Amino acid sequence: METWKKWTLAAAAVLVVAGGTRAAGWWGADKSKDKNTLNYALVTEIQTMDLSKQVDQYSSTIAGNTGANLLRMDADGKPVPDLAKSVDVSEDGKTYIAHLRSGLKWSDGSSLTAKDFVYSWQRIVDPKTASQYAYLASGVQNADDITAGKKPVSDLGVSADGDTITFKLDNPMPQFKSLLTFTNFMPQKQSFVEKQGSKYGTTAEKQIYSGPYKLEGWNGTNNKFKTVKNDNYWDAKNVKTKTVNWQVVKKPETAVELYKKGEIDRAGIYNSPEIYKANKNNKDVTKVPQAASTYLEYNQTGKNKFLANEKIRQALNMATNRAEATKQASGGIFDTATGLVSNNLTKAANGQDLATFVNPGYEYDKDKASQLFAEGLKEVGETKMDVTLLGDADTPITKNYIDYLKQAWESNLKGISVTEKFVPFKQRLQDQQSQNFDIVLNNWTGDYPDGSTFYDLFKSPTAGNNDGQFKNQAYIDAITKADGSDANDPVARSNDFKTAEAALKDQANINPLGSWNAYYLVRPNVKNVVMNSTGLPIDLTHAYRTDK
Amino acid sequence: MTKYILKRLIILLFTLWIVITLTFFLMQIMPGTPFNNPHLSAQAIAQMNETYGLDKPLWQQYLTYLVNALHGDLGTSFQYQNQSVSMLIGQRLPISAQLGLQALVVGLVVGLWLGSVSARHQNSKLDGTLGVFSTLGIAMPSFIIAIALLYLFGYEWQLFPVSGWGDSFSETVLPTLALAAAPAAVTARFVRSEMIESLHSDYIELARAKGLSDKELVNHHAYRNSLIPVLTLIGPMAANLLTGSVLVENIFSIPGIGQQFVSSIPTKDFPVIMGTTIVYAAMLMFMILVTDVLTAVVDPRVRLQ
Repeated sequence: METWKKWTLAAAAVLVVAGGTRAAGWWGADKSKDKNTLNYALVTEIQTMDLSKQVDQYSSTIAGNTGANLLRMDADGKPVPDLAKSVDVSEDGKTYIAHLRSGLKWSDGSSLTAKDFVYSWQRIVDPKTASQYAYLASGVQNADDITAGKKPVSDLGVSADGDTITFKLDNPMPQFKSLLTFTNFMPQKQSFVEKQGSKYGTTAEKQIYSGPYKLEGWNGTNNKFKTVKNDNYWDAKNVKTKTVNWQVVKKPETAVELYKKGEIDRAGIYNSPEIYKANKNNKDVTKVPQAASTYLEYNQTGKNKFLANEKIRQALNMATNRAEATKQASGGIFDTATGLVSNNLTKAANGQDLATFVNPGYEYDKDKASQLFAEGLKEVGETKMDVTLLGDADTPITKNYIDYLKQAWESNLKGISVTEKFVPFKQRLQDQQSQNFDIVLNNWTGDYPDGSTFYDLFKSPTAGNNDGQFKNQAYIDAITKADGSDANDPVARSNDFKTAEAALKDQANINPLGSWNAYYLVRPNVKNVVMNSTGLPIDLTHAYRTDK
Repeated sequence: MTKYILKRLIILLFTLWIVITLTFFLMQIMPGTPFNNPHLSAQAIAQMNETYGLDKPLWQQYLTYLVNALHGDLGTSFQYQNQSVSMLIGQRLPISAQLGLQALVVGLVVGLWLGSVSARHQNSKLDGTLGVFSTLGIAMPSFIIAIALLYLFGYEWQLFPVSGWGDSFSETVLPTLALAAAPAAVTARFVRSEMIESLHSDYIELARAKGLSDKELVNHHAYRNSLIPVLTLIGPMAANLLTGSVLVENIFSIPGIGQQFVSSIPTKDFPVIMGTTIVYAAMLMFMILVTDVLTAVVDPRVRLQ
């Protein structure tokens, strides 16, 4: 036999043996059967474990499972006691007093005190920390002035006395209890943070943990690590899982494949309509509504005279079949939006879903739209209108929406010509924030389960995130009441939101399109996993694997 | 020789400076801000820019960067908060280096073997078949081979893991093969033509006349002289591996420097983009220098000037 033939045979033999042993399970047992461990995937690497500086949901997923706050969201989305025994609210809604459990400990065995909370709140608003999430503390006394460098951090309205922590607010904040579940406000130990200096939170060892698990094996850049049970957590007896293995899987298709092989216990299938359609009939599919919506913003600065005209905006809104657009664009991943606020964010005072309660009744009416459009064009003294629709180049659903709208508007409205413009996410943000657009397709993700996370967007024509820079007085009045005089009256507040939503529709300031959902393949034998619509995306505190 | 190497090192530094300058100013054309949070208000972004010194005039930022880079300080990542760029690169470089080295070794070994087999069976069916494969290896970009391997060996036959790094050697197999295809193909073609030439040269005829077997002829005489051109190939091949690994690392979720480079661009993580570009440029130029020197050492006919 010739040499090359021998070698080829040998190579083939190696492959066959390798494949055979793998198939026979010599390379590791089926991971979805091991009762001591759970296996999950993140879409990107951990960016930092510095709690004050985390901004992405994957870093905060690890933080939320390795750290604890005063409260924690339960399976129904209600904040329940975690490190705090209880949290009292004053009559006027401007003071919150948290009582800590006794004997709390950090993962290194040192005691966890009320001061660790105060330090964490001070650290996030400190301009020296330069946290992107400092704005979340806005509303706590002096927080904004401290971030702007006008007052020292010691002036912050958060103080410790023994086992109690007192929060003083400028105005009642109905969402404040959800802030007390946030990973960015989890306790941090001053002496530890200062000892680590600029290395704080850059590896698993450069952080200590207050929660159900502690992070191990993360060197700052690697994409496989684990969280193991923290015996010093106050509720450790109810943490049933010893180890959770995490790996970074960037491609959704790969995650689905790993899920099917039993190597991870959850895989997202909502990244594109294609991957959703390919997997939506799998029996393990679970829907998790997201507090996020997609809507169009109209540039109302006057830079575009067409869009400054209310009738033209009304016509565009009425020429939009949002149910059909959403179905076509997302392939069934999104629900149709009924207003600015997303579905399933929170409940109104009467127990209805807030989005249902405030629904102002956006309608699709081709004839009325075309009539309004003609009137609008006459008012601005033109016979045709060229307009540019701006959106992200990197998300397939955005692209589908814009394609649909161009086609629908051009066939419903005589004289309109729509140009599509797709740019990278970062540029879209920049263009939108500098009013460099006609119409932009924007997405907004709520920070906490309360209407204000959406309705605060348009409180002022220039500040915040009012990219179209419109001024709708009825809307401003309603939200000012909701955030002020009605803040402690849930019924009045729900009605304020309803008024605001109706005001947006009346002036056609925005065009709501879709309300987001996440869909996952979820391992049925893993119980007690909490998946939230806002805040911590997946909470494994009490998760465990059963036999089946 | 020392003088030559010194001269080349100085040119290398000068080239690096040009790379830094070009990258720095090109990055300013990129849209958006590094602060990847749509919830930030204009005031908050202004404050972040101030904290990170991005509000200063461009020339000042440029000079600061140059001075710091000279001191070996490549800055701190915007996206991976608190992580110094040197550390980010330092932890990822060994992974990419291991991948590159494995691919280079596999590529060279396979290439040398295929090349000599082809040469000895010149114009046979086997030679033709191998020729087709080596053309494919050169013509197909590594990421296409990667996807094909991933599909066949990962999804269809489930022989090897589809992603990850660091748990077991089996994870490295597919990315190594994907990257090794091109060097293997290039080496095979070179070795084949060199070997054919060697096998027809006078000294081989002489050796054959002296009664040496085919095997001895090839192993002791023909191979050595065919190796010189391969040596000159290693530099460019290593360079190709570096650039190829950018895509392959992304496909297989390998936490190497290539993946870092790609992910830093959409997030506008200036310090990381700068840092990885500098490291890439330095490595490429260093490879070329090493190749030039090695060629001179091996082949006395080459004179360095």
